[in-house]
Amino acid sequence: MNVDRDWVPMKWPCGPLEIARRNKSGSTDADVKETLEAWARPSALELLKGTPINCLIVDWADGRPEDSAQQQALKPLLEAGRRMRLSFVAKIALKEDTGVSVAAARAAGISAVMLGDASGQSFELPAMRQFPRDKAAWETASTIFSATENVWPGLNLETMNGDTALAGPTGIPWVNSNAWFSLLARELAPGKTLWLDFDPPAASTALPPAAYALAVADSHAYGSRWIISLDDKLRVALAKGNSQALSVWARLCEAVAFFEGHRAWQAFKAQGILAIISDFRGDNAYLSGEVLNLLNRRQVQFRIIERARSLPTLAGLKAILWLDNEAPSAEQHAQLLGFVQQGGLVIAAAYWGAPDVPPNKKDPSLLYKLYNLGKGQIAVAEEGFQDPYQVAVDTHLLVSRRNDLVRLYNPETTNCHYSVESESPHKGKRLVQVLNYSSEPAAYVTLWVNERVEPARFWQFGAEARTLPGRPASPGTDFDLPPLSVYCALEFEGTNL
Amino acid sequence: MMTTTCSRREFVGAMGAAAGAWLARPMMSLARALPASRVAVGTCHEYGPEVTATLAKMFAQLGGVEGLVRGKTVAVKLNLTGVATDRLGYLPAEITHWVHPQVIGATVQLLGQAGARRIRLLESPMATTEPLEEFMLQANWEPRDFSSAAPRVEFENTNYLGYGKKYSRFWVPDGGLMFKGYDLNHSYEDCDVFVSLAKLKEHVTAGVTLSMKNCFGITPCTIYGDDASVDEPSLAPRGGRGPFHEGNRLPSKSAPPPVNAHAPKDPGYRVPRVVADLVAARPVHLAVIDGIHSMAGGEGPWCDHVRHVQPGLLVAGTNCLATDAVCTALMGFDPMADRGTPPFETCDSTLRLAEQLGVGTRDLKQIEVLGTPIAKARFNFRRA
Repeated sequence: MNVDRDWVPMKWPCGPLEIARRNKSGSTDADVKETLEAWARPSALELLKGTPINCLIVDWADGRPEDSAQQQALKPLLEAGRRMRLSFVAKIALKEDTGVSVAAARAAGISAVMLGDASGQSFELPAMRQFPRDKAAWETASTIFSATENVWPGLNLETMNGDTALAGPTGIPWVNSNAWFSLLARELAPGKTLWLDFDPPAASTALPPAAYALAVADSHAYGSRWIISLDDKLRVALAKGNSQALSVWARLCEAVAFFEGHRAWQAFKAQGILAIISDFRGDNAYLSGEVLNLLNRRQVQFRIIERARSLPTLAGLKAILWLDNEAPSAEQHAQLLGFVQQGGLVIAAAYWGAPDVPPNKKDPSLLYKLYNLGKGQIAVAEEGFQDPYQVAVDTHLLVSRRNDLVRLYNPETTNCHYSVESESPHKGKRLVQVLNYSSEPAAYVTLWVNERVEPARFWQFGAEARTLPGRPASPGTDFDLPPLSVYCALEFEGTNL
Repeated sequence: MMTTTCSRREFVGAMGAAAGAWLARPMMSLARALPASRVAVGTCHEYGPEVTATLAKMFAQLGGVEGLVRGKTVAVKLNLTGVATDRLGYLPAEITHWVHPQVIGATVQLLGQAGARRIRLLESPMATTEPLEEFMLQANWEPRDFSSAAPRVEFENTNYLGYGKKYSRFWVPDGGLMFKGYDLNHSYEDCDVFVSLAKLKEHVTAGVTLSMKNCFGITPCTIYGDDASVDEPSLAPRGGRGPFHEGNRLPSKSAPPPVNAHAPKDPGYRVPRVVADLVAARPVHLAVIDGIHSMAGGEGPWCDHVRHVQPGLLVAGTNCLATDAVCTALMGFDPMADRGTPPFETCDSTLRLAEQLGVGTRDLKQIEVLGTPIAKARFNFRRA
């Protein structure tokens, strides 16, 4: 059996293993324990009827004495699940004897296993790799692979001051998002599917109803999937048939179903006139990841290029940010200089070989030396790249807002992602997905696109698609968005300005 | 209200004398006779080509601006308050709380036609060192529209040191009301003529914000900001102007100290005094106010109970206090009002304080209003 890239995964915590884990950590009470027991029973699967969720992640072995009891307890659930055409992925967290557990999983009818370190091993079942995102093993990523240590999307709870979200250095509320990592995964593991593994934050009160829908949107809009994971309070309430909990659940499923109904969007390509080049690994991982994160927060649309690869065609680009201290290869160097000669901008921490021309008059707001070369320019950071926030700000300014593809007005807690249907930025359908990271609806948000646009097709969760007229701006087009709870998408044909 | 008329030559001469008087201000006593003031009021209902025509007519009513700007470097302080992505509802900033690019372009064009050697557009965008052009682009403006409107148009972000090597110090004549002097970006000194290009608005803290209050934004937050360094100016501006508003801290020690270290913390006391100080220290030679579209109830979309209004007015004058007095009257208020009376319910009157510093007069009886009479053009902001 192979993994199915259309699987819609959900964590299904239940049984003796999870109970033992909770007992040890002290994070359980009678209700939670009862729910963990109940979710091991086939009747619990009733919750999934009529939903798009078709793949459950179950704990299978982590080296505890309860492993065997866990596998035994899951048998009725697996049997009932198969009758409902559900697939199961067994999570195995062992350092040794993994093969034995995998064999047991296969015997139990499990479809695939999810493993941490499994490099070089072959198993009787398809193995999905799971790794912490700062140790992403892109080369060995399986067809479906998973990353941990993600953030729960939304306003940064750690920087909340009462009901007020503290601002980041940009003056706009700081939000947590995994968007940049999803975009990175699409480039560094092309053709593969990333499942983001993150759990709801421990909270003394129930999460806002929109929180789960946002977790779905922050993953799917950027091309990955969230392994749905419910918090204890919601699971307990669902088990008791609580109507409010069922409403939250319905909203979550509605969001998942929406993206399942728009799978074609997954093939749309992120667009941008800025390319960011790094190896995104090791010592470069932190800076490059944060720069991607912060540029995304500034609504700067970019393309990602892995440093080790031959540079693809640079057509359509206006700027390249070379993030790493390591110099390009001779071939890349020649390509980059050719790009500059033709009018492009290269931004780098150091210049690889002194240019023959003196720097231009300095811009006092930017600590860069600017060299004219041919029709283009090279911008060299005088003190290298140190603060990722400053790198993101400077890059945006060096590239210039004149080249923005999209922009949000009254953005506050919202952000957006722009992609196009075809490889060519000049033709094909455009898609702009707008996300609201607050639990409160975003009002009076205007989306600006740098194109003359006919009316857009407009979607929100739980609403029929409709036409949204644009308002000509100079340049571009303004779309006044209705109050935005979590997510909306606009699809349109455009004409590049 | 004065009804005198004077020839273009007389006007130019008067304006030159006024400018000369300003430059000599530190030696002038507050008790001297105030210069006669003329203010032009134009009706203009939309932002189209009619803006340039209206403004040209108004400048002509004032006697022309050639004598003021020919061969000179002209600094134009714009009112682009807040951040560039803030909107009142779905309305672009220029329709509510920013001076409109059409008015900026028309002003630049007319100043260029009048022979200005160089025009420098200035503003202190909030909490950033980014070039002013980039700030404008974020609002979906095209800076080239301005740079192509006249020869040699420059832009500078004055919220920090900018292109200067040091800050320029401006002493307030006779000691100042809040501070003895202010350290500003070099652009406010490296100019022959200073223009305040503002919006016709109410202001939550200062009652109204017009050509004088616009000058609050000439102060760099590297010195007067919440996060300015204690001893020397910061390299980059962060935060707002808390030291002015609430007196929550002192400006960087490198700047002139406050007149009274124990001055009240009430923003309604402090802000009008800082504004009056500033226009006394850095005289405004030409005030232009965009009141074609605006907002009522406050100065920006962040204020409560604000709403879009369309007074359909342009106002210009060569004395900022007289111009603001006329604007205050056009908005439906009494420019002679003071604390406790609209629009100064919770603050002191900047107009009165500026008058006290000898900037000019707020008394409509001493101001010659040209063009549309106040009674005909009045747009009551509180009833809008």
